[in-house]
Amino acid sequence: MINLIFFTILGLALFGSFIFIALQGSPKSLPDSSAVQAVTEIIALEGSSFANARRLLDDTDYQALCSNPDLRRLAQRLRNDRKQLALTWISSLQNDLIRLWRFRRFLIQRGVPSSMSEELRTLQALSLSLVLLSFIRLSIRAAGPFALPRATRQAGQLVDSMSTGAALVLGRIPVAGWAEIERSWVKSAA
Amino acid sequence: MFLSGAICVAAVSLELATLLLLVSKGVWRSYRLFFVYATWLFLANSAILVTFLYLPADSHTINWASRVYPALYWNIDSIDVVLRFVVVWEVFHQIFPKSSGLNKSLSKGLAIVAFALLVVGCGTFLIYQNYTGPRSIHLALDRSFGVVQAFMILGTLVTARYYGVKCGRNVRGIALAFGGWVSISTATNAMADLASPFLAYWYYLRPLSFVVMIAVWIWALWVYEPNPPIMESEAIELDRWTQDWNRTISTARTIIRP
Repeated sequence: MINLIFFTILGLALFGSFIFIALQGSPKSLPDSSAVQAVTEIIALEGSSFANARRLLDDTDYQALCSNPDLRRLAQRLRNDRKQLALTWISSLQNDLIRLWRFRRFLIQRGVPSSMSEELRTLQALSLSLVLLSFIRLSIRAAGPFALPRATRQAGQLVDSMSTGAALVLGRIPVAGWAEIERSWVKSAA
Repeated sequence: MFLSGAICVAAVSLELATLLLLVSKGVWRSYRLFFVYATWLFLANSAILVTFLYLPADSHTINWASRVYPALYWNIDSIDVVLRFVVVWEVFHQIFPKSSGLNKSLSKGLAIVAFALLVVGCGTFLIYQNYTGPRSIHLALDRSFGVVQAFMILGTLVTARYYGVKCGRNVRGIALAFGGWVSISTATNAMADLASPFLAYWYYLRPLSFVVMIAVWIWALWVYEPNPPIMESEAIELDRWTQDWNRTISTARTIIRP
């Protein structure tokens, strides 16, 4: 009985999935105009441009201002500004991860060898990291930019790693090969 | 009775039209396995139609002639369950050609998944104890492997979408219609065994959905539009990329470490 109910539900769900795919239309080829933009952006990931990320989340200035009762309003303004900047920075990190992931998909689609387990690990790492960064965003929204002092120290390393990672990814591809890849992306987008 | 006959005639006519379409445009050379399956469908359903017309099943009389049609129908259906894997294979190899890098990268992993699905299909067929009549065994076989085939087709389409592999009209139409039909067949088969009043609807629903599938196939094959070739670049080793990726991910994780 349970077996039959299971098959009924599963069959209908699968049918729904096929209808959904059919209604979505033909899948877009990966190399589209946004992907072209991603290729050029991966050369300089946005997260790397936050050179002073360590200072961004450092609460020394804020504490110094708070210690003076006349400057508390200014301290509050500083805190809000830092909060907005920190949120932007975390967003850019999330975008960097997504760009790296898209670039990986692009390479594999073009015949770079990989394995299923490697693909799944990458997906898992991406999802986990995005969830963690979302958690950080939430904590910054809720408790302000100076709530996680440890994170402040580690954030600098993240930016450095992102910067180094972008440089290494770029350096891995020969200049001739990079031009060819970019050309094919543009060609596909046309 | 009339409706069943009409559906049967429509199915055979559409199958013949599919074959003619494949042969007249020379498309069969590109889709050989699909052509073999379409030929099988035409021959098998023609045999069913002839039997239906000249040796119809009659519940009031019990003689050899009245038993020919159900026996032929269910035996052909059981063979068809196995042959449907030919369509799955065709769809997979059209989307991920053997020479493509994606095939090399993913075929091993997908083969393991396919094997696991087959084991699950065999398991669900074997553990099903409620074989009250000869029809139920065939229904169980049909839905156990139908769901496996639906998952295989869906998995292939989802993987193609994930990597941005573009499907041509031909393969896309074949895959979606086939997947939709085996899914709805699985659901209706289970419902027919679950509630006997549904059996009356099942007699029409299943063949009607089959006719719809053939009609979609004809629409898909009307214009020859194969899958565009997957552009291959020179082999770029991924080790350094993986190192960078791992470093970035691990750094991201360390942010919230206490």
